Amino acid sequence: MTQQTRDEVGGLLPHDEFRAVGDAIVTNIEQVIEGKTATVQLALAVLLAEGHLLIEDVPGVGKTKLAKALARSIDCSVRRIQFTPDLLPSDVTGVSVYNQETHDFEFRPGAVFANLVVGDEINRASPKTQSALLECMEERQVTVDGVTYPLQTPFMVVATQNPIEMEGTYPLPEAQRDRFTARIAMGYPDAGAELAMLDGHGATDPLESLRPVSDASTVRRLITHVRQIHVADALKRYAVELVTATREAPDLRLGASPRATLQLLRTARAVAALEGRDYVLPDDLQALAVPVLAHRIIPTADAQLARRTTDTIVADLVHRLPLPQEHRRSSYDTRPTTDSGRARYEPRRA
Amino acid sequence: MISQRNLGLVAAAATLLAAAPLSAIFDRSTWLFQSTIAVAVVAAVAALARLGRAPRWGQVLAMLGGLLLALTWLFPSGAELLGVVPTPATIGHFGALAEASLVDMRTHRVRVPDTDPLLFLTVLSIGGIAVLVDLMTVGLRRPALAGLPMLAVYSVPVAVYVDSVPPLPFVIGAAGYLWLLAADNVDRVRRFGRRFTGDGRGVDGWEASPLAAAGRRLAAVGVAVAVLLPLAVPGMTGDLLDRFGSGTGEGAGGAGRGTASQVDLFSALQGQLNQGEVTDMVKVTTNESEPFYLRFGTADQLRSDGFRARPPSGTAVNREFGPTVPDREGITRSRYRATVEVTESFDMPLLPVYAEPVQFKLNGRWSYDPNQQVLFSNRERSSSKRYEFEYVRSTYSPTALRQARPLPTEHSLRRQTAAPTVPEVEALVDELTQGQSTEFDKVRAIYDHFATENGFSYALSTEGGTGGQEIVDFLTNKVGFCQQYAAAMAWLVRAADIPARVAFGFSTGTKSDGDTYVLTNRNLHAWTEVYFDGFGWVPFDATPAYGVSGSVRSDWAPDLDAEEEEVTPGPSTTAGPAGSGSGTNPNQAEEGLEEELSGQPSGTGTPTRTGSSWLWAVGALALLLLLTAPALQRSALRRRRSGRRMPSAVPAGVATGGASSGDHRMMVLADADRARADAHAAWDELLDTLVDFRQQINGAETPRATASRLARDTFRADTEATSAVRLLGRAEELARYAPDPHPGEPLLPALRRVRAALVAGSDRRTRLLAAALPPSMVLRWRGAVADASARLMSSYGRFRAATLRWSPRRLLTDRHPR
Ligand SMILES: Nc1ncnc2c1ncn2[C@@H]1O[C@H](COP(=O)(O)OP(=O)(O)O)[C@@H](O)[C@H]1O
Ligand SMILES: [Mg+2]
Repeated sequence: MTQQTRDEVGGLLPHDEFRAVGDAIVTNIEQVIEGKTATVQLALAVLLAEGHLLIEDVPGVGKTKLAKALARSIDCSVRRIQFTPDLLPSDVTGVSVYNQETHDFEFRPGAVFANLVVGDEINRASPKTQSALLECMEERQVTVDGVTYPLQTPFMVVATQNPIEMEGTYPLPEAQRDRFTARIAMGYPDAGAELAMLDGHGATDPLESLRPVSDASTVRRLITHVRQIHVADALKRYAVELVTATREAPDLRLGASPRATLQLLRTARAVAALEGRDYVLPDDLQALAVPVLAHRIIPTADAQLARRTTDTIVADLVHRLPLPQEHRRSSYDTRPTTDSGRARYEPRRA
Repeated sequence: MISQRNLGLVAAAATLLAAAPLSAIFDRSTWLFQSTIAVAVVAAVAALARLGRAPRWGQVLAMLGGLLLALTWLFPSGAELLGVVPTPATIGHFGALAEASLVDMRTHRVRVPDTDPLLFLTVLSIGGIAVLVDLMTVGLRRPALAGLPMLAVYSVPVAVYVDSVPPLPFVIGAAGYLWLLAADNVDRVRRFGRRFTGDGRGVDGWEASPLAAAGRRLAAVGVAVAVLLPLAVPGMTGDLLDRFGSGTGEGAGGAGRGTASQVDLFSALQGQLNQGEVTDMVKVTTNESEPFYLRFGTADQLRSDGFRARPPSGTAVNREFGPTVPDREGITRSRYRATVEVTESFDMPLLPVYAEPVQFKLNGRWSYDPNQQVLFSNRERSSSKRYEFEYVRSTYSPTALRQARPLPTEHSLRRQTAAPTVPEVEALVDELTQGQSTEFDKVRAIYDHFATENGFSYALSTEGGTGGQEIVDFLTNKVGFCQQYAAAMAWLVRAADIPARVAFGFSTGTKSDGDTYVLTNRNLHAWTEVYFDGFGWVPFDATPAYGVSGSVRSDWAPDLDAEEEEVTPGPSTTAGPAGSGSGTNPNQAEEGLEEELSGQPSGTGTPTRTGSSWLWAVGALALLLLLTAPALQRSALRRRRSGRRMPSAVPAGVATGGASSGDHRMMVLADADRARADAHAAWDELLDTLVDFRQQINGAETPRATASRLARDTFRADTEATSAVRLLGRAEELARYAPDPHPGEPLLPALRRVRAALVAGSDRRTRLLAAALPPSMVLRWRGAVADASARLMSSYGRFRAATLRWSPRRLLTDRHPR
């Protein structure tokens, strides 16, 4: 274990340096994935927010590619698990085997012992195996035969999943998805990007030639930096209000968890840092609401019948929720004080 | 479309309802039928125009055209094509009608008969109002504004009926307005689709939302107050002479403004009198101990509709005038000197003088008419004038007056002082003068007839006209005030073939100090003057003395109601100088008058009189203030915000950044606070400016999003404005969310740049509105009002809950649970 503790990492990076590293990684990945800058940036932000990423989309839109490219761009340990129905939990976590030579049990680490774990087609594995991975994601440690092994830092799982129903798949239960910080959809590339893909990827796979532009220790420093990004009190309140709104929305059966609130704010910090800011904006929270919250919530049957996706429901909430009266009201702000819009979203307490 | 048509119909009906107050003006309801036709035509034409999807101006043109056709049909000149198509002759006819209506307004008193000119004017006005109301309600969707033209109708009877406004028509008018507002509101609600209650029952569009209940209640209270307030306040203290005019509210402004040769004395006076409160008009200082009335006007032309003034004619005052009649036995003459100071409130082309002035200290632009005994000018007005004159006071002994002979038939005065024949008057005069041999005895017989013992009494509340029928009415009812007494006596005297006329002036006012009398509008008075051959014009005041503040009697025309013994020789003050405002020594006469005037007993002696016209002036002023207040407040707010020192650069303290010394940190913090406040001020100003220029504001939008939306949608190519608005957005976002709030660029120029871009990008109406009635301020006020009423409602709810808790029923049920 040559793992650095967080304290050994330096303090706040100059914004420019942070931004330079971030840009380098994004540019690097973009050599492989055409026309998906926002998606790529979000993936990086989730890494820097110490979260896990779920990429959910139809086959063949570059999900695996994105996960691999991200892993390649950072010089760190990468493991890839191709989930299949016969994959065992021990394949994920590791197993103790008897060593003939030492006459002792020795731990053989599973696939999660890496900085970046690419779990491809996670919905093909049995629920048991899925749970094993999800346990690790949350605990950031593995316990086998009573011995606890910590995972590496950074540790990020990038799982891909296919939403189209297919024979022999076990789609992640909604409650389990809460472990993922963000869910992103790749979406089809636009015509120009697809054309560029044909030119660049027709003959050779550019993934082969992709060089790492950063390393694990740099990423750790970046993560430390992200943790220190300033969040105004008003924005914390706003985040809470946003999450509370999902719990109270009439369209939703299950709202977002407090974990979601935490991760929303963390990701917002990362996004702010990637944009070279040392403070979070409500715009960050608004932009992240759908990727961070939408996959955790369950719409009511009515909303499903009305074909309202969780994405549109969350986007709607964001659109309607007024910003908090952030600052001490300036003496020049003579707007009426009652803000009925706010009151509606106030959590109901007995 | 359908809703628009409905709204148009409601607008038409509301206009007619709002016209209800006019019923108090007209004797019959012809005006209503004709106005209904005109309004119906306007509404129908408007509906047709909308059906044809005519633009707003097209609708207005169509409505005006419809109104013209309706007027042509109702008031034909005979030269129309097919009876409805106007020709140039029709237009000329309309012009003549409009002109004649001005005359009619002056000659008729309320309630006016159905004369074509007056009907024309009424139908034209109501039709015009119908066009305006339709435009505001349907075209502009501003039904609240439609209240203004409707209010114009309201003001007509208020101006005419100075002291008693019949309330019912106003309630009807207000109901029309409320209906209009409600219809518009329902229409707005309907556009959102059907409403349902919680239990799934469909709600009829007319069923008001429960949320609207509070608003409705407020509106109802407002209307009630508006209708009741003018009634509760003591009416116009009205004096006397206002009743001479026919009064359709036009007189004061119109006629009073002319030169002396065209002035309509009655109307001009009415204008003066319409000022409800007691105003000082004239201060006069004289060395005469008991001066008779100060006079300024004469009405000696008598037609069947009453007395009126003739244009005066005379010579410039810079010469000495001799007495009009030679000295003779029985006339005592003394010369006095008087100084007059006219206040601003007495504004006429006439100046008050005592009878028989002989010498003036006054500029040559004023002339004196020795026949009418009036001082007039065609170039100057009386307001704020100060002048001196010497005058001769004649007193006559009754014995001497008895010697006056009948005026020779060829005397020029004879022709001027003929009276139209009214049989009742002739009969009364014959009866009164029977057996009276001398001219004076005939006049005294007539004068004596007006005594209390003959049943005559004083009351201001009667309607006063001086036409033949009114005089007969007065002689029958025997209740009236000075106008009727003066005119009736003059008429009777003329009927007895003796020249008589009505004089206008001031009764003797309050003696303020020394020899100075203060005369107010309450001293305005009218009396009779009778011409005796060889004696000239001799005054007789037939009005009961208790009705006149500062009444003066003489021994040739004594106070008929006083005890015989009290009549002293020479002019005597029977009522004494009476105070109008001071009321230090209120005698019976004054008290009586005050009761007449205010309609309530004058208890304290310091009456505060506010007439309805005064109310109107205050109302108009308040309205004006209310209208300009938002603009004023807005610009004050902008100045205050701009007055903040907007951050221009990152201060050095922050640039060095560190937290090395506590002192230093404090400085940085304070600086950051200021930068924050500046940015907030700039942002608030930006938001208000956006509201003013009808840009959308969204509470869920971040400053950055607002800035980029503006840059994208509003400013587009204007790169300067784009970067300015982005700077403002960034400054606000830093101030709100960043640890270091310094934007590094000055905000004030950016603010100006954005405003300029908004001004350039909006139409004229928006610009005008932003300057005159800034929507941001209006919204703010509305919000404040809503807050206040919500608070009121909730505290009322709490109060109710609290009282319910102590209600006996509740207590009982608590004690005996089921
Ligand atoms: N936006 C894209 N840019 C570049 N290549 C793409 C993109 N989308 C799909 N591809 C290509 O499509 C192929 C399928 O990608 P893959 O990641 O295996 O799909 P998935 O995992 O979503 O099924 C890859 O060869 C990849 O190069
Ligand atoms: Mg794949």
